[in-house]
Amino acid sequence: MGNFELIWWVLALPVIGFLIQSLLGQRIVGLFGRTYGKKVAGTLAVLPIAAAFVLGAGLTLTLLDMPATSRSVVMTLFDWITVYSISIPFEVVIDPLSMTMVLVVTGIGSLIHLYATGYMAEERDYTRFFTYLNLFIAAMLILVLGNNLAMMFIGWEGVGLCSYLLIGFWYKDIANAKAANKAFITNRVGDWGFMLGMFAIVAFLGTNADRFPTGDGRYLSFDRMLPVLASLLSENPGIATLIALLLFVGAMGKSAQFPLYNWLPDAMAGPTPVSALIHAATMVTAGVVMVNRMHVVFEFSPVASGVVAVVGTFTALFAALIAFGQTDIKKVLAYSTVSQLGYMFVACGVGAYWAGMFHVVTHAFFKALLFLGSGAVIHAMAHEQDMRWYGNLRKYIPITTATMTVGWLAIIGVPYLFAGFYSKEAIIAAALGNHHATFLGGSTEFTGWLLLVGAALTTAYMTRMTLLTFGGAQGRWQQPETYEAAHADHHAHADHGHHADHGHHAHAHHHGHAHEDPHGFFYTDEEMERREALEPHEHHHHLTPEYKPKEVPVSMWVPLAVLALLSTGGTAYFMEHHHAFQNWLYPPFGGEHGTGLTMIKGHPVIDPEAVSGHPHGMLGNKMALVGLSVLVMLIGLAYAWAVYGKRLPDKEGFDMSRWAKFRLWAMNQFGYDAFILKLLVYEGGKTVGNACAALDQKVVDGIVNLTGVVAQGLGGLARQAQTGYVRGYALVMLMGGVALLVYLVSALSGGVR
Amino acid sequence: MTVFMVLSTIAILAALGVVLFSSPVRSALCLVFNFFTLAFIYFGLKTELLGITQIVVYTGAIMVLFLFVIMLLNLGGPQTWKERFEFRTVLGFGFGFALAAVIASQVFANFQYFDKPQAPDSFGSPQALGRVLFTHYVWPFEIASILLLIGIVGSIMLAKRKL
Amino acid sequence: MTGNNLADYLTLGLIMFSIGAVGVIVRRNPIVIFMCIELMLNAVNLTFLAFARFTPTTAALADRAESFMSGQMMVVFVMAVAAAEVAVGLGIIMAIYRLRNEIDIDEMNLLKG
Repeated sequence: MGNFELIWWVLALPVIGFLIQSLLGQRIVGLFGRTYGKKVAGTLAVLPIAAAFVLGAGLTLTLLDMPATSRSVVMTLFDWITVYSISIPFEVVIDPLSMTMVLVVTGIGSLIHLYATGYMAEERDYTRFFTYLNLFIAAMLILVLGNNLAMMFIGWEGVGLCSYLLIGFWYKDIANAKAANKAFITNRVGDWGFMLGMFAIVAFLGTNADRFPTGDGRYLSFDRMLPVLASLLSENPGIATLIALLLFVGAMGKSAQFPLYNWLPDAMAGPTPVSALIHAATMVTAGVVMVNRMHVVFEFSPVASGVVAVVGTFTALFAALIAFGQTDIKKVLAYSTVSQLGYMFVACGVGAYWAGMFHVVTHAFFKALLFLGSGAVIHAMAHEQDMRWYGNLRKYIPITTATMTVGWLAIIGVPYLFAGFYSKEAIIAAALGNHHATFLGGSTEFTGWLLLVGAALTTAYMTRMTLLTFGGAQGRWQQPETYEAAHADHHAHADHGHHADHGHHAHAHHHGHAHEDPHGFFYTDEEMERREALEPHEHHHHLTPEYKPKEVPVSMWVPLAVLALLSTGGTAYFMEHHHAFQNWLYPPFGGEHGTGLTMIKGHPVIDPEAVSGHPHGMLGNKMALVGLSVLVMLIGLAYAWAVYGKRLPDKEGFDMSRWAKFRLWAMNQFGYDAFILKLLVYEGGKTVGNACAALDQKVVDGIVNLTGVVAQGLGGLARQAQTGYVRGYALVMLMGGVALLVYLVSALSGGVR
Repeated sequence: MTVFMVLSTIAILAALGVVLFSSPVRSALCLVFNFFTLAFIYFGLKTELLGITQIVVYTGAIMVLFLFVIMLLNLGGPQTWKERFEFRTVLGFGFGFALAAVIASQVFANFQYFDKPQAPDSFGSPQALGRVLFTHYVWPFEIASILLLIGIVGSIMLAKRKL
Repeated sequence: MTGNNLADYLTLGLIMFSIGAVGVIVRRNPIVIFMCIELMLNAVNLTFLAFARFTPTTAALADRAESFMSGQMMVVFVMAVAAAEVAVGLGIIMAIYRLRNEIDIDEMNLLKG
């Protein structure tokens, strides 16, 4: 046993950082002056996360030293909820899955924190940003470490809250606030599924309480719940499907799977470090982590697994197609994230849970890298996010170019040299060799073939992005004809700044407004003036033909370099070599009773070899699959090079009228988002609202008014008695007195004698 | 016995007069008669001091006040106050009789045989009354005095046209 | 006069009280109503005194003066309150008369609901 008490410090450090930032942040900035104060506050924000990473690494090493059969330690802090027979302690579990995620969250989290100290340096609400960011890390750690579904749900909601706060960080722009609301509300749908799944588990276990270890009410704790579920669900596949589908609805919301994906592109309204940390590397993978944690449930339901695989495949292809229509560099990456999350769910669906987690890790590396790189580009390009303005940036920002190229090569899956290849290969192989998930009565092997198509699309749109940004002979913002084209189509130009990073700045410059907070819902004019006096409005250069992009400061490119290093094949090779990562998460012990199920101190673990097979036939040869992958990658590369190698095609230029039909469709998400908004928000919402209003005004108010009318009528009747004649009152008094006397006499003396 | 019968007959007739005369002046005079006879009945109960107080306070002060107001407001004419016959009047008489009947049933059933005075004959003397009034009942006495003071002030406030 | 028993006095009291009560209800003149109230109060006074005279006291209380003085005390206070009530009541009647120039109680129905 190592010193696992340290896990509480891993949890506490981000909370301490959060408290420092929230309670003392502004004081620190005030104490040391604007420039140095921000540096001190930024350091204080990065340090706790980095320290947590060091502690987490130490704990992981301790865990590695233990025999595989005992790598699961449950630590309990206090009894949190005890109601009737259910008890939910505040407990964490230290096992390979949770520690993997702890390392990803704190490791990439600290890199992104470091990056953000540079990226947000000009930001006025600097400490507010780090307050949210530290709080997010704390919530995410609770999510991955929690040993019961309730704690996981707390983290689940906590990261959702932080996501909401950070998407709406520049709340003064109404578009950002709307994007935040969209993310939050869409996630509610998923949370509904998660909660129903949780309740279904409690209800199911409650009706089979005799199978539960006596004297222990921890129905939601994984080390109690999962073994019982494993033995019960094999007898009740229908219940397994129900629970699995409900939990998958939760995963859909958080991990942006179709049909709940559409909040994630809008979430790009948040600052770029947030996009990298929350909306690419960590939070959106929470669904995959949850499916891994609850994999026993999915294991007993091939039907639900098939749904997971098919939804993942569809999302992967759908989002990849949409990415072709995006001109905003962050939007491309956002759809790419949605697409890659689809890959992870396919892996989970076909039973290769470890491959899903593997892709979570490698994707966290290269997608964080790509997002941070895009942030560096945006930073260098005066907060212009439209790729149509870019071009030839390799000449101006070489470090960013180099690191982002590594990320690009990783995501398109250059064989052996880059991380993305290993995990993507594992997923496609597992999907092709599937003999677990079923869809419409058949195996879901077709998902593997579709994922190969998706790989070609991924290569194409990522190459498109890279070429538009860094390629080309000349920067398009320097070309006079680009300017003319852009201003000829003023509408398109104004449109792009809408969801833009630093949206309010861009907005103000484009339309020549001098003052911030155009909606006036937060600051009064006097407060605004005071804030301006405190810290003069930082002037952002507008992108003019004379503009010279500058390389980012050291605090920003160091994380890029580290992530680029991680995205190369080295780390992934060690994780993949001899199934190291697979055996770390799911040790192969053959299992008991031939089910492939192993118990590691209460945690049932399924041997992946038992469920997810290998491709057979011609593809049984590993090299055949690699060859196929390389082939589709080359197809994608060739297409992208042919179209974007030299210049921006007219069909994607500023003149929207020349856009091809497919491009327009893809830009508008094939009408899905508008359709959903119209169906559920504008039209449907209005209909439901009208129905509720009618119900309220007619029925509810009717009942209320009816009581009033009844009371009024009764009062009117009683009013008749109030004649106002004093003698009448006296008469009634006399009558009452006589009646009382008669009663007293009869009661006290047994009758009137 | 006969004296009591005479006195009570006078008292009842006077009481009826109060109600039945339509002129308030006559009613008031009947009330004086009633109070006067009551004072004598009090004497018969050996409560001499209260009998005298009855004459002084009621017939002397209160009734004078009544007559004063009647005269002041010029309400003496009997023709102004013709009573209307109403359903309420019938009910009033009916319940009045009912009240009398109910109380009488108890009185005759229970108190016929209390024919021996229990209190000493001197219990109504000024000495006995005064001693108890200023010792055991001194607080109610003081409160009653404050009440009378408030009554004086209140009636002045009400009656005066302008302060 | 010692030949009277308690019931005689009580009967006189109840007759006076009933007459007063009927008077309050049937008369329209507020001054007469006041008189009827005085009549009822006096009936009660008479009852108090009759009880004070005739009610047996217990042996334990026999040597305490207040044990048979309470009835008379009650009468004293009733008289005091009656005096105050008449003073205020007649003041009110005066005020009403001044305000409305008549005092028919059936015309005063501001309490009508």
